[in-house]
Amino acid sequence: MTETIRQPELARMFAAAAACVRSEHARLSELDSIAGDGDHGATMLRVVDRLESAVAPGSSGDLKVLLKDAGWSILGVDGGASSCLLGTFFAGMADTESDASALDCRGFTAACEAGLQAASRQSKAQPGDKTMMDALVPAVAALRAAADSGTLLIDALRSAADAARAGAESTRNLIARHGRAKHLGEKTRGHQDPGATSVALLFEGFYRGLAETKGDAGYA
Amino acid sequence: MKMKKFINQPQNLVPELLEGLALAFPDKVRLVGNKLVVRVVPKDRRKVRVVTLGGSGHEPGLSGFVGEGMLDISVAGEIFAAPGAPRCIEAIRMAASESDAGVLFVVLNHAGDVMSANITMDMAKREGRNVKMILTHEDISGGPNPEDRRGLVGFLPVYKVAGAAAEQGCSLDACLAIAERMQQNMRTLAVAVRTATHPATGQPIFELGDDEMEIGMGQHGEAGTGRMQLKSADETADIMLDPLLEDLRVKPGEELLVILNGAGATTLMELLIIFRRVAHVLRDKGIKLVRSRVGEFITTQEQAGFQMMIARMDPELIRLWDAPCDAPYFVVR
Repeated sequence: MTETIRQPELARMFAAAAACVRSEHARLSELDSIAGDGDHGATMLRVVDRLESAVAPGSSGDLKVLLKDAGWSILGVDGGASSCLLGTFFAGMADTESDASALDCRGFTAACEAGLQAASRQSKAQPGDKTMMDALVPAVAALRAAADSGTLLIDALRSAADAARAGAESTRNLIARHGRAKHLGEKTRGHQDPGATSVALLFEGFYRGLAETKGDAGYA
Repeated sequence: MKMKKFINQPQNLVPELLEGLALAFPDKVRLVGNKLVVRVVPKDRRKVRVVTLGGSGHEPGLSGFVGEGMLDISVAGEIFAAPGAPRCIEAIRMAASESDAGVLFVVLNHAGDVMSANITMDMAKREGRNVKMILTHEDISGGPNPEDRRGLVGFLPVYKVAGAAAEQGCSLDACLAIAERMQQNMRTLAVAVRTATHPATGQPIFELGDDEMEIGMGQHGEAGTGRMQLKSADETADIMLDPLLEDLRVKPGEELLVILNGAGATTLMELLIIFRRVAHVLRDKGIKLVRSRVGEFITTQEQAGFQMMIARMDPELIRLWDAPCDAPYFVVR
């Protein structure tokens, strides 16, 4: 049973997250073309390339260094608000007191909370504004609830992925109040937010990646 | 409809267009790395540097305004997407290392641009660099809250007056004050009549009926709020000018700069016809039209439509607007 995330586990989690995004990139662009300029899928492909190469064989065993590098590399995607928020999230995950070489359920939760806090400093968006935050905030909250009740890491990741997906799906009925799409108002209702959808795909990947490491195909 | 554009590989759009800019104006701008456009001849160390950032696909904005008397460095992003903080801090470090007077960072109010700029400013502060930021946000379609107003073609007079002040040796605080005064005294409204295609995805950016126009259209083709039947040039000019004058509270006798900025596919013929109406209305209201520009300064591919910008001028702003400058797409002699 894998109860800690070290470099190899993180590498599999990021690889699986990249795979989830790659399989859905066309849908992400399609969702983005409703309220944006239709390039979110292309941006996310570049984001997950950077995410994956940050944990390539030979990368640091110090998870804080690794997360900082991944975040900074994603910021360099030059993909506007999406890559900016995700890069800030990953780089921000390094700003914790947790052990630098291994993260248990509490450690990973604390890292995600730090990442969310960093991203929140950049975006004033709140849950309900139809942005990435609609998936990210509940995912991190689910991790916290799981960590506090002593849940296994893999189950915590499963509930985070479920919360992120539910959060992303909830954006369907919302009106955009932040970013470019806010200028569309009522017209954004009825379609899922592409950024929130991407976050849900990343968390689904985190779960699948860790599930693979313990020899469990899980929900994949 | 299938996209018809003269492009090569979609992923090479930005490096290729920037390379083209540098090759077309070799005496004015050069490329550093593949995303920083800088002046060929840097100004004196004692003068303030003016740096900006923004997405690509809006040519000649923003990198076409790098040059003597305007910008020192433009950080170009991907198509319609802001560059990330790593490249911005690279530009700020470069500008700061070349100047003893500091750096003015001009940022247009768009979500991605502002995030990158804020991260960059945090890093610059930690590194102890002398950098001040000015946010342009003059699009009145965003409503009364300044934070909701996007930065549209108003970047042009801000670059111009701040760039002129910097060139003349003003301090960073003085350059910032000039830029702020320009920003506070300008208002823009945009209209679109036909969509553009995203050059990388080939997809239309928004949908608009054959006989419709939309007021409040953003710079990236993001849809606006006021959709209506297509109107004549004079009617459209009136529909746009009235709220601009009202929002800026322009009084008879005051002096205005007016800029009409074509979105990419609206002809100069149309822009001149609209401008004529604007000039007539201002004359009838007793408002002085002291400076004007009609052309393409920031575009959205082949989107049809335009931005109308008005700015209240004072003698100092006029003097700085008239000061010489020599950028690829803005020359004053």
